[in-house]
Amino acid sequence: MPRWGMAVDLDRCDGCGACVTACHAENNISTVGADQASRGRAKHWIRVERYWEGEFPDVRLKFRPVMCQHCGNAPCEPVCPTYASHHTPDGLNAQVYNRCIGTRYCANACPYNVRFFDFFNPSWDKPLHLQLNPDVSLREVGVMEKCTFCVQRIKAATIQAKAEDRNIADGEIKPACAQACPAQALVFGDLDDPESAVSRLSRSSRGSKLLEDRGTKPAVTYLSRQS
Amino acid sequence: MSASPSPSHGQINTDLLRPLLKTSWKFYAVVTILGGIVVTALVSWLSQMFYGFGISGIRWPVYWGFYVTSFVFWIGISHAGTLISAILRLVDAGWRRPVTRCAEVITVFALMIGAMFPIIHLGRPWLAFWLIPYPSERLIWPNFRSPLVWDFFAINTYLTGSLLFLLLPMIPDFAVVRDKSTGLRRRVYTLLALGWRGTPKQWHRLESAMAIMAIAIVPVAVSVHTIVSFDFSMAPVPMWQSTIFGPYFVAGAIFSGIAGLLIAMAILRRVLHLEQYLHPIHFENLGKLLLVMALLWGYFVFNERLVTYYGNEPSEMAVFWRTQRESFAPLYWTMVTGNFVLPLVIMGIKRFRTITGCVIASLGVVVGMWLERFLIIVPSLGHKYLPYSYGIYRPQPVEIIIAGATFAAMTLLYVLFVKIVPIISIWELKAGEHQPPDTTHPAAEERRLREQHS
Amino acid sequence: MKAVYALYPDGHSAQQALSRLQAAGVHDRDITIQSAQPMENFEFGHRDKATWMWWIACGGGLIGMASAVGLTWLTEVSWPINVGGLPIFAWWPNLIITFELTMLGAILATVITLVVTARLGRGSTIYDAEVSDGKILVGVVNPSESAVADLEAALTAPPGAQLKKI
Repeated sequence: MPRWGMAVDLDRCDGCGACVTACHAENNISTVGADQASRGRAKHWIRVERYWEGEFPDVRLKFRPVMCQHCGNAPCEPVCPTYASHHTPDGLNAQVYNRCIGTRYCANACPYNVRFFDFFNPSWDKPLHLQLNPDVSLREVGVMEKCTFCVQRIKAATIQAKAEDRNIADGEIKPACAQACPAQALVFGDLDDPESAVSRLSRSSRGSKLLEDRGTKPAVTYLSRQS
Repeated sequence: MSASPSPSHGQINTDLLRPLLKTSWKFYAVVTILGGIVVTALVSWLSQMFYGFGISGIRWPVYWGFYVTSFVFWIGISHAGTLISAILRLVDAGWRRPVTRCAEVITVFALMIGAMFPIIHLGRPWLAFWLIPYPSERLIWPNFRSPLVWDFFAINTYLTGSLLFLLLPMIPDFAVVRDKSTGLRRRVYTLLALGWRGTPKQWHRLESAMAIMAIAIVPVAVSVHTIVSFDFSMAPVPMWQSTIFGPYFVAGAIFSGIAGLLIAMAILRRVLHLEQYLHPIHFENLGKLLLVMALLWGYFVFNERLVTYYGNEPSEMAVFWRTQRESFAPLYWTMVTGNFVLPLVIMGIKRFRTITGCVIASLGVVVGMWLERFLIIVPSLGHKYLPYSYGIYRPQPVEIIIAGATFAAMTLLYVLFVKIVPIISIWELKAGEHQPPDTTHPAAEERRLREQHS
Repeated sequence: MKAVYALYPDGHSAQQALSRLQAAGVHDRDITIQSAQPMENFEFGHRDKATWMWWIACGGGLIGMASAVGLTWLTEVSWPINVGGLPIFAWWPNLIITFELTMLGAILATVITLVVTARLGRGSTIYDAEVSDGKILVGVVNPSESAVADLEAALTAPPGAQLKKI
């Protein structure tokens, strides 16, 4: 049984935001408009956190793409009254939209703030509705949503591999963000396979976990920036 | 304190049944105004369901705001009845008698209002019934490890217990009303009185039931607000994951409950002319309890903040300073004034321990306790661990209307109740005041005289 | 309904009436007493005190406890779902559910016992509305014809008695 994880190389990330756009496109995440975004209603399943140090012109910018860390000890899971947030055997933190009644306790419990609430029913101006991904369900108002490691792609690859009676090859599954990243900063794979790219990167001396001292056991390793 | 003689049997009946048997235009006016406010709130809630939750001020990452504040606040107010009825009944404090029903009514209605908020704050409230453990066709049960499911069980148990605790001693009073009324009213109260006759057997059963209920309801009340506090302490949010939350919240609940009770009693005394039954000594005793609870509240807050301060953990200290020095400082210090300084000064100095003084102190406590709930929730949620995701919460009209209308709803329910049931338990009052002296135990007689003439 | 009873203004007279009735040979179970308050300070106020209510409340609590343990254990074990690495049967949180349902069981058992054993809700014996004004009623329901005169004598003897017959 694979245990899915990700490695993010902060040395490669330049904050372009292609991952954010790709995630929106792949997972049918609607944009909310400038007004609602300024009121904190944007739903960026992956976001590029931007921090800067120093005064102009000696500004140093740092970028960190943050998505659901699919924690081994996820604090968002025990608090959900309807089991909408739970852990799958292959290491994903699953969000079942049909069970969610919108108490938003999971979002409060998440130390990374990677869970988002549907404040309104999503809408796409025509003809953008033609671009919707048929593999991903649309979420109605009142439910929580977050990064799923593109579980639809994981499932598709799993089914394909089973049909062809073979194992899933390393690098066969690429979530939309990893696929779109021009610098190949995001690497996805099976952490239980010691030879996979993500496992080797996780073992790197540059590697660390975000908010590791909270004890959440995230499945995402960040490789620190060297320059 | 009270130099006038105790009212006679017949006088008690007349005074306490007057609100039931006579209605003035003021009643209808009050009910109309309060009803209007409550209807406005209902319309607001319906529009929130229709237009989407986004019309509220909830945002990333502050996902709980006014609604959860109101929820915790009203569940807290509901601890009034348990303290007065159950605890004072168990320690046999005679001065509680005129006050028990006022307090139990506050409990039941505050619980009903508080229990609305877990539904109001849901993203999909029409599915709230999924919290009920029933064998569903979806082959799934509620998650019993979730504090929200504990809330469901605890609040339902407490509501059932409090409702029964309120209804049981009303049966003999319903019998009195039945005997005094005619026509349709008589038939309704005959039904409500359940065939009460007043035989010794019935009195014994009633007293046993009340004793068992009193013993049962106190741990349930403690557990309810502890479980409400678990809604916070089970999440790894700075300044939420504190082991002190359980006792802290229970103490705060009893505190706000006493304040609510004092306000209700003062209003009832004035509006229903109950000067002969609610004496200044009752207010003074409750005022002393308010003082004790204020000290206890201060003790818990000091504990919580000292430990945080000493730990000096960065994310916790950020929230610590946010409330004490930065953007939330005005609200924080208002809370400290209302909850600690005002009750200590007013209730601590004997000259100020009058009915007016009690009411002022109680109003301060009510405001302070509401702010305390707000200040636990919002500053922490807006300032968790990753600076990029900090956020500021601004309540929107729909939240302000609904939270504010709860006070109107409470008053409305109370006014309607006072119209239907005698607000002071007639038989308990008489049982306390008319004890024949020569068969009373000397110690009890001494205590009774002391209470009457102190 | 045939009955002979009298209304008394206070507990002393009522107690005297009861004593006289007992002296006249009337059984306790045939005597009806009604008052507007529990009259703990008189002997007649202590009739019918024995009750199983406390035991029944404990029993109700046990039933509640059993249902809670059953509910949590059966549902958590039948549909095992991993949440945050907590055990499938997490007994710490299940204790909370158990506590609440235990107390609910005790409370409901108490109330049901009260309604049943106090014979509330059933059509009852005699009643006089003056009891609500503070009078105490002592009487005998369905007396035999021959005993009526003796009963009347016993009931009218204490001070303040108001005899009534239906």
